[in-house]
Amino acid sequence: MLRLFRTTSFRFTLIFVLLFACAVAILGAVVYRASFGAADKQTNMIIDSEITVLADLFAANGPGMLTRVIRQRTAWRDDSIYMLIGAPSGAVLAGNLTALPPEALTAEGGFFDFEFERPMLDAAGRETGIEQRKARGKVIRFRASPEAEQSFLVVVARDVGAREFLRASLGNVFVRISVATIALGVLIGILFSRTLLSRVETVSKTARAISAGDLSRRIPQTGDGDEVDHLSANLNSMLDQIERLMTGMRDVSDNIAHDLRSPLTRIRNRLTDAMKGGPEMKEIALQATLEDSERMLATFNALLSIARIQSGEGAGVMEPIDLVAIAEEMAELYEPAAQDAGFELTLKTAPTPLIKGSRELVSQAIANFLDNALKYAGGGSKIELTVEPGAKDMVRLSVCDDGPGVAYGDRDRIFERFVRLEESRTTPGSGLGLSLVAAIARAHGAILRLEDGFAREASGGNENGLCVVMEFPAASGD
Amino acid sequence: MRILLIEDDAEAAAFAAKGLREAGHVVDHALDGESGHNMAAAGGYDAYVVDRMLPKMDGLALLSRRRDEGDQTPALFLSALGEVDDRVSGLQAGGDDYLVKPYAFQELLARVEALGRRSAAPAAPVTTRYKVGDLELDLLTRTVRRAATKIDLQPREFRLLEYLIRHAGQVVTRTMLLENVWEYHFDPQTNVIDVHISRLRSKIDKDFDKPLLKTVRGAGYTLSDSD
Repeated sequence: MLRLFRTTSFRFTLIFVLLFACAVAILGAVVYRASFGAADKQTNMIIDSEITVLADLFAANGPGMLTRVIRQRTAWRDDSIYMLIGAPSGAVLAGNLTALPPEALTAEGGFFDFEFERPMLDAAGRETGIEQRKARGKVIRFRASPEAEQSFLVVVARDVGAREFLRASLGNVFVRISVATIALGVLIGILFSRTLLSRVETVSKTARAISAGDLSRRIPQTGDGDEVDHLSANLNSMLDQIERLMTGMRDVSDNIAHDLRSPLTRIRNRLTDAMKGGPEMKEIALQATLEDSERMLATFNALLSIARIQSGEGAGVMEPIDLVAIAEEMAELYEPAAQDAGFELTLKTAPTPLIKGSRELVSQAIANFLDNALKYAGGGSKIELTVEPGAKDMVRLSVCDDGPGVAYGDRDRIFERFVRLEESRTTPGSGLGLSLVAAIARAHGAILRLEDGFAREASGGNENGLCVVMEFPAASGD
Repeated sequence: MRILLIEDDAEAAAFAAKGLREAGHVVDHALDGESGHNMAAAGGYDAYVVDRMLPKMDGLALLSRRRDEGDQTPALFLSALGEVDDRVSGLQAGGDDYLVKPYAFQELLARVEALGRRSAAPAAPVTTRYKVGDLELDLLTRTVRRAATKIDLQPREFRLLEYLIRHAGQVVTRTMLLENVWEYHFDPQTNVIDVHISRLRSKIDKDFDKPLLKTVRGAGYTLSDSD
């Protein structure tokens, strides 16, 4: 629970709730002032106009008439309150107040608020008790003439109990609204933070699992495309890349161990033998050692290149390049060698859009395909290097031969490092060529696959040849 | 040639220095970047061979500083870093050639001597005609003749011969040809260069008594008139 209060979303909610509560309070105050201010004003106006009427009555007809009128008016039980007091005698001449409110003494000529007692009546008009009421009124002194000694103190007031009741209940309503707002806000905040928190918790749980060594874990996505989903997707693709790199690293070290340890052991054994043997044996051992070490260097270089291309570091500058031009250069480079090896190398090109890539790496990939064709398409007679538009917005590069091909079951494996099919064990090579190509393909966003090449009739349909196909995305127009 | 070798691996340096001395060059050796720079500043060298990763001052910084001070001595970088970007940064720092470790000694020798040739005649007028024995190559008319016979070459064969004849008398390795004639920096598994050479050879040597384009075992090729 403590964690919940520390979450950002909860804090935000809390701040918003407070702001909202403030807004409600301000709104309440404004409504309160506006409505009750107006009501007070109205009360004052009624009182003033009544006083004017009474003053006119007094001026025209004297105190007797005034007393009568007030008596008449107080006969009904309504909100009007009057009191007429003779001065200086202090005799109450008329009115429905039992006593002069003490506030009236200091407020002569102005408005004042006061409390008074009124008998409560039941439906039949019987007195059942006394109630405290609130009222607002004005006290004023009437004189027959400015010199006249006798004067009358007149109190005209309105019962404002109903208004006071309304005032109290409205205040109450606002307090309740504020409390409800805050409570609801806090509740929403808690729920909101809980949901968010549970999703963040999933992310950090995954992160912990990965830190603990389970690199295959991924953050589950809800699929509603919100920010947390986006974050998860981005983290997942980052994790994919990290996993790829880690796997790459592990592969490299495994492979180094595998592919370099055995020749090193061989060298060591050979040298141990040679030390005991004669000069002729030493000569042979040295020659073999030299060859072994050169092969190891080649393997080592290939491993490094693969690792660097895979990490995205060795890809060099990616720029718009023309596959047709590159294919032409490679065909020109390999044509004599192909002819020497008994193959006819033909180049077929169709105009294609530029691709984004590295001339060096793409050339290296083509060189690899051609090397492989020359090495493994034994018995065949033709190699075709083709560059043509592929499926939508792709440029298709293929090297096809009419050699023995690769069995369907082996096709996926040959892009892995050090995989050398049984048939090729006898030919030289590190088994790294195609995995280098696979790394190059990945760096270019290209798709790499094998297809059937040219079938040769002489083989009785058993040999389908082989096509290595690389499909590059065309460079976008920018 | 007087060569300054700046390399922190003493054994590798001894190996290279021994080979270069056997080939008739004078070699001074510096073990770190700072002393290498001081020796270079003292002057008198025809070429620098600089390892990229050196203690005290790395090879790139060293050469940039020499170039800033107006030193135009040709330089070759040795480096374990062999990707395209690394080569580019090496050449940008003022290097004239770049050799990735591990290298064959013959490769180093051929490249250093190619550098020396470049610096030996810095002010030579621009040559458009080259001649080795009775073989002539004219860059302006793009024609090749041997004795009075005109030889037809494909454009790439012409460029190949042009590179060989510019380095006449020197050993030129397969990698140097691949880099300079085809502009590739990887080693194909197939002997593509050898086949191109043998085609060229069949055009310029086959019908004549004296072969000019010779194979140097374990190293590469050389175009020369001598025996």
